[in-house]
Amino acid sequence: MRLLVERFPDIARDLWTDEDTVEVQLPRDAVVETLRTLRDEPEFGFYMLADAAAVDYGIGHHFEVVYHLYSDRHPAWLRVRVPVDRANPRTPSVTSLWTGAMFHEREMYDMMGIVFEGNRDLRRIYMSPDYRSFPQRKDFLLPDDAADSSAAGVNPLERPETWDLTTFSRELTSSAATYPPPDTQVDVPAEAYPHGQESADKSRPA
Amino acid sequence: MALTNDPREAARGRADEEAAQGTALVTSPARIEIPDSAPSDDDLLAPFGMEEHPTGGFHGLLEVIPTKADLVIDLIRANSLWPLLSGLSCCAIEMMSTATSKNDIDRFGMFPFRASPRQADVLIVAGTLTTKMAGPLVRLWEQMPEPKWCVAMGTCTTSGGRFKRSYSVVQGVDRVMPVDVYVPGCPPRPEGLIYGLLKLRELVMARRGQWRTYVDRGPQRVAWEGDVR
Amino acid sequence: MTAVDPETRIPDPIDLDRAEEARLRAAAGLAPPSPPAGSEYAGFELVGVPDRPLQTEREREMYTLEEGEMLLNMGPQHPSTHGVLRLVVKIRGEMVTDLDPVFGYLHRGIEKLCENATYTTVLTYVDPMDYLASMHNEHAPAIAFEKLFGIQAPRRAEYIRALVVELNRVFSHGLMIGFLALDMGGLTPILYAFINRDDVVELLAAISGQRMLFNFFRVGGVNWDVNDEFLSRLGTWHGTVMKSIGDNEKLITENEMYGVTGPNLRASGVPFDVRKAHPYSIYDELEFDVITQQSGDVYARYLQRIDEIKQSLHLIDQIMDKMPHGPVQAQVPGIIRPKPGRAYGAVESPRGLYSVYAISDGGPTPYRFRMRDPSFISLQVMPLLMPGHLIADTMAIMASLDPVMGGVDK
Repeated sequence: MRLLVERFPDIARDLWTDEDTVEVQLPRDAVVETLRTLRDEPEFGFYMLADAAAVDYGIGHHFEVVYHLYSDRHPAWLRVRVPVDRANPRTPSVTSLWTGAMFHEREMYDMMGIVFEGNRDLRRIYMSPDYRSFPQRKDFLLPDDAADSSAAGVNPLERPETWDLTTFSRELTSSAATYPPPDTQVDVPAEAYPHGQESADKSRPA
Repeated sequence: MALTNDPREAARGRADEEAAQGTALVTSPARIEIPDSAPSDDDLLAPFGMEEHPTGGFHGLLEVIPTKADLVIDLIRANSLWPLLSGLSCCAIEMMSTATSKNDIDRFGMFPFRASPRQADVLIVAGTLTTKMAGPLVRLWEQMPEPKWCVAMGTCTTSGGRFKRSYSVVQGVDRVMPVDVYVPGCPPRPEGLIYGLLKLRELVMARRGQWRTYVDRGPQRVAWEGDVR
Repeated sequence: MTAVDPETRIPDPIDLDRAEEARLRAAAGLAPPSPPAGSEYAGFELVGVPDRPLQTEREREMYTLEEGEMLLNMGPQHPSTHGVLRLVVKIRGEMVTDLDPVFGYLHRGIEKLCENATYTTVLTYVDPMDYLASMHNEHAPAIAFEKLFGIQAPRRAEYIRALVVELNRVFSHGLMIGFLALDMGGLTPILYAFINRDDVVELLAAISGQRMLFNFFRVGGVNWDVNDEFLSRLGTWHGTVMKSIGDNEKLITENEMYGVTGPNLRASGVPFDVRKAHPYSIYDELEFDVITQQSGDVYARYLQRIDEIKQSLHLIDQIMDKMPHGPVQAQVPGIIRPKPGRAYGAVESPRGLYSVYAISDGGPTPYRFRMRDPSFISLQVMPLLMPGHLIADTMAIMASLDPVMGGVDK
């Protein structure tokens, strides 16, 4: 960790750690160069890409690509977070460093719609080629025919009449751009739950 | 025109008249009545004075047993239902476990899991059916020759199960093909699957000699996202 | 899908629609499309939906045929593709020149479902992923969630976890050996493997109540303590298992870092095992070796499994010796709302590094739940391993990688 601060003074302010993970935040432009250094320099030796995941922080916020790296010289996982603009979701590909990142990036493209520049094979991996949505985005709501049944009420998601999407989006955009947003719990009027349900989490429609 | 009480005579006379007038109607031959329900062995054998010997076999006037070919063929079918070797997910492992040594469904003549749908009688849909897999699975079903039966194994195939809310799961395989036996469980134990297959055998025996094709049964498929093009 | 050449390929109507719409809008000077006012999506804007190219570089390389080459489609229903994997193989004569795996025939959207389920329910959703290693599936989220909540499972619970996880590894490796032999033409080993598997799953059913999707782990512990039936079955099974493994052995008997982990990697000589590299649970208190093989071929992967089964039995011995008394479940509220934060939990599943990345926003459900499945990553070495081999070897090589489609497709 001290090594990281010495070598990359720019990212030092974003360092965060717990007992077995060190977390850094990188700008989109520097990601390939920094990861190459982390992989190739013997003092780092993070030669294995353990995981690459995409996170959607909701409307009005940004995407994030998260890499988890493993090194046999350090006792911690290294987590690299790369924010990606939601309106223009493009980020450089790391398939030039790890061939194994190919399927990770294809999955992120399929599920989140993030375009990796330089990836040779960026097509859908799970859904069929003519599928048009990106299911893991937060504005993709689950289809649910349980909403019509009288037994609805297990989850507010299943009851569209309780959705208040405009409030939701206003709250997200008005809150500070830091994650996580402050408690967005909304008081639900009692008559909205005629089936005797006492409380429901309405803060996150998806 | 001769007067007679015999309706056949009357009909013949009418036919002669019509033939003379050039307005003959083609008369159908006398209709043979076939009982809808499968007759029992005793009913079939009674007119021939045959009865079952206490030590096994039959004895009586005849050395042959008259019956309908359909009944015999379906009796054979019911005792050698060959499933298709096709597993989708978790339930497939329990299906294989059903086929191997401990829970041996070879006992019921069901062991030869056929790799080709053209040789299979039963499609055991074992596992979650997704929208992408629905097209290929329906093609498999359509390639199987009649008569054929479908067993939905596990809750995912009966209703979507724990993935009912998912965006890519078909909520029950009966939305794409007719199903004869549902076996609940997630996944069902091998004993459960054996029970379901024995129920299927009972069903085949009960419909002995009168099966119908699936052509106009069940929902018709339009197009699925995952159709192989 | 058939071989097409990019010039003569008929474009997808959807692409035509989209291109036409974009052209018309641009000509009229209009903004990109947005949802109509009054619809339930009116508050949102459709931003950042990228266009997809008609054909990627790799697709063009794969589906352009040279003289004497042809494409062969295997799956998604094929007796030896281990589920619903589909492989498009490019062959020249009987020699494989290229290979394109097609996934998604079992994509059930588990990550999305988990993001809409409470933390306790997530542990039931992840069960059917890698359905031969359900215990490992539950272990990784349990570790990640316990980090999020800042709680610690009791020591006895950790020992029981390690015990059931190693039992699961034994039958999973045993089945892999059976399937490998089956795909190479031997029917008998699979029968033996399933006898062993039935013994172990009945053992685990005695403790968890289910034969396959156990749902045994809880956040902060396990569901049940070990019971008498479990212990007696374990004793019986342990007495016979060494002999049956010996029987199985008698009956049958270098790659680069592509992100492959687990036995496939260790069979190529790289001693990476999460249990040693980042010890979780109680693995730092137990003694075991990380087995490696040097040759990295199908036979090495088979030997690797045999040796790992022996290590697992060794571990089970130690766990049963050392297991302390005490509770098996920490005090946890019914509906858990952890503090906002992120956690990463990784375990060594029978197929490799199985990890979970969970983000909490303070609500009762995870905000983001991401799983990294080892067989998903293992399958991407298939196009690198296959060229130059015969088409009949595809079966053996794939069986030796031991992919489970439930995990690949999530």
